[in-house]
Amino acid sequence: MEIANKLRKLIPLSSEIPEEKINDLFQELFEKYPDGEDPWGLNLEKTQKVVETLYPLYKDYFKVRVFGKENVKNKPYIVVANHSGQIAIDGLLVGLAFGLDIYPPRILRGMIERFVTNLPFLGTWTAEAGAVLGDRQNCLQLLKRGESVLVFPEGVDGVAKSTPDYYKLQKFTKGFYRIALSSQVEILPVAVIGAEETYPYVYQAKGIAKKLGLPALPLSPSMLLGPLGFLPLPSPIDIYIGKPITPPADLHGEEQDRDIREHIYQVENQIKEMIEEGRKNRRPFWAVKKET
Amino acid sequence: MKSSKPKSILIIGMAGGLAKITAHLLAKKYPTIPILGVDPRPIKDDFHLDNLELYQLPYTRGNFEKLFRDKKFDTVLHLGRMSHVSTNPGYNIRKRLNLNIMGTNRILDLSLKFKIKKVIVLSTFHVYGALPDNPTFLKEDAPLRGSFNYPELRDVVEMDQMTTNWMWKHQNKINVVVLRPCNIIGPQIKNVITKYLTTSAIPTPMDFNPMFQFIHEYDMANLITESIEKVPTGTFNVANNDVLSIREAKSIATHSPQYSLPLFLVSPLAKALNKTVLNLPEYILDYIKFPCVISGDQILKHFSKSPIRYSSREACELLTLD
Repeated sequence: MEIANKLRKLIPLSSEIPEEKINDLFQELFEKYPDGEDPWGLNLEKTQKVVETLYPLYKDYFKVRVFGKENVKNKPYIVVANHSGQIAIDGLLVGLAFGLDIYPPRILRGMIERFVTNLPFLGTWTAEAGAVLGDRQNCLQLLKRGESVLVFPEGVDGVAKSTPDYYKLQKFTKGFYRIALSSQVEILPVAVIGAEETYPYVYQAKGIAKKLGLPALPLSPSMLLGPLGFLPLPSPIDIYIGKPITPPADLHGEEQDRDIREHIYQVENQIKEMIEEGRKNRRPFWAVKKET
Repeated sequence: MKSSKPKSILIIGMAGGLAKITAHLLAKKYPTIPILGVDPRPIKDDFHLDNLELYQLPYTRGNFEKLFRDKKFDTVLHLGRMSHVSTNPGYNIRKRLNLNIMGTNRILDLSLKFKIKKVIVLSTFHVYGALPDNPTFLKEDAPLRGSFNYPELRDVVEMDQMTTNWMWKHQNKINVVVLRPCNIIGPQIKNVITKYLTTSAIPTPMDFNPMFQFIHEYDMANLITESIEKVPTGTFNVANNDVLSIREAKSIATHSPQYSLPLFLVSPLAKALNKTVLNLPEYILDYIKFPCVISGDQILKHFSKSPIRYSSREACELLTLD
């Protein structure tokens, strides 16, 4: 809570941190993870501190609204979302939404790129907050244990888009659907609106990134401001949760690509429709916070 | 191939802590059958067991074959893999490779020649390697990448692969079980991880905090003992499915305040200490950086009651009771 209070002094954020609410939520989570850790590196104590620290950013800075909470039941899901925002802030906010705004609270296990696990500090911090290496075996094991996983089937192509491509869904990879077929766990489509605009204008220097061996290289005029320019702008974020999609029972995880392609299009189309609908309700950039 | 009650047992690597505990458990379980212990290192005879005979001899010499010829045992427990702790009195790379690879090969060939019914070989989870892209709960069919970054682990991987290939080749003639346990810890075990956990001078990494599994030495010995009759031919991971982060494990094991450093500082510190007071192999640095969590489900299917009594946390707690 100390870090959260220091942050509040630095940034004029209005919401009080609901200490009691967060404590109650984590009380429930500690019942689920009695050791406070799990085999993938989750550390509940540290996650609670992260949630307390990020709460004002979630509520006041990004003014997150969550729609479609009624579609989430108390069971595991493969949460499939569009990816955006250059620094994957969407994953963090969707995770917070499932912990803070949806009952019962859950630690959404975000699938992360392989290079992240190799990074000092960042790899450990993300693991302690519940993220796991994006690997099919990990995903299946987590679902088997009753956990929900967060997948961005667009991968780096989704998060690292240039401004003209904002809100254009990139091609979905097939792994998530194969996992759904193997586990027979429902897919929960999610659309995140607003994360694209956290950087005012972005050009993806793909050629240079490739030469440097980087997954992406976003260039934005705001970066001329130095480190300050890397801070995401307070674009209001809306998270839309769609109706769950049940994977067909007559298909299995090792079906040929052509047999599952249609089903993946169905998920893609549902998220595309949710994005279009969501953009109609998009709040002005400097929106006043609205409770939902 | 179904296993029956053993008639006589040979334990290889008898000077080691795990072998000693196993000998005691075997003597308790099979009080009437002869048990032979052999090791190239001196074996301290503090067993007080009537049915135990001890021999100090290398596995690569003719006398070793004579033992097979004369003593007519039907079960061999190969617990004699030489570890990388360089404080080991017999340590040098050439000797280690010779013992681990050539020695194992000879043990397997003699076992076949003298119609041994059951061979249990102790390998290690280090064969999988600690790598950033390891999924959690590696199964037995995961690739063996242990020597990718550290050629010094080559003998460990080679010994495992050689045994596994041999096992399938001769599966109709001899029953072989290869065990790949997670970190075995306990007061009798003087391995790398026990040294790391109990040495408060070595810090934990500040920038990485991988998850670890531990099995108590008693549980491991118990599992080996029970495997003689219950586990069929195959390769099996041995681990509890509960895990601890390395920082948590070290704080439990040292019972003293921990200090952490970024790994790029831990590495030179470990090297400096290696030249003075400690002797930890360099590959351990990868194991305190990246995860190597294994699934121990397969072997447990062969037991009606799990032979593993202590959780990873309890195994660490028991280290402090010494």
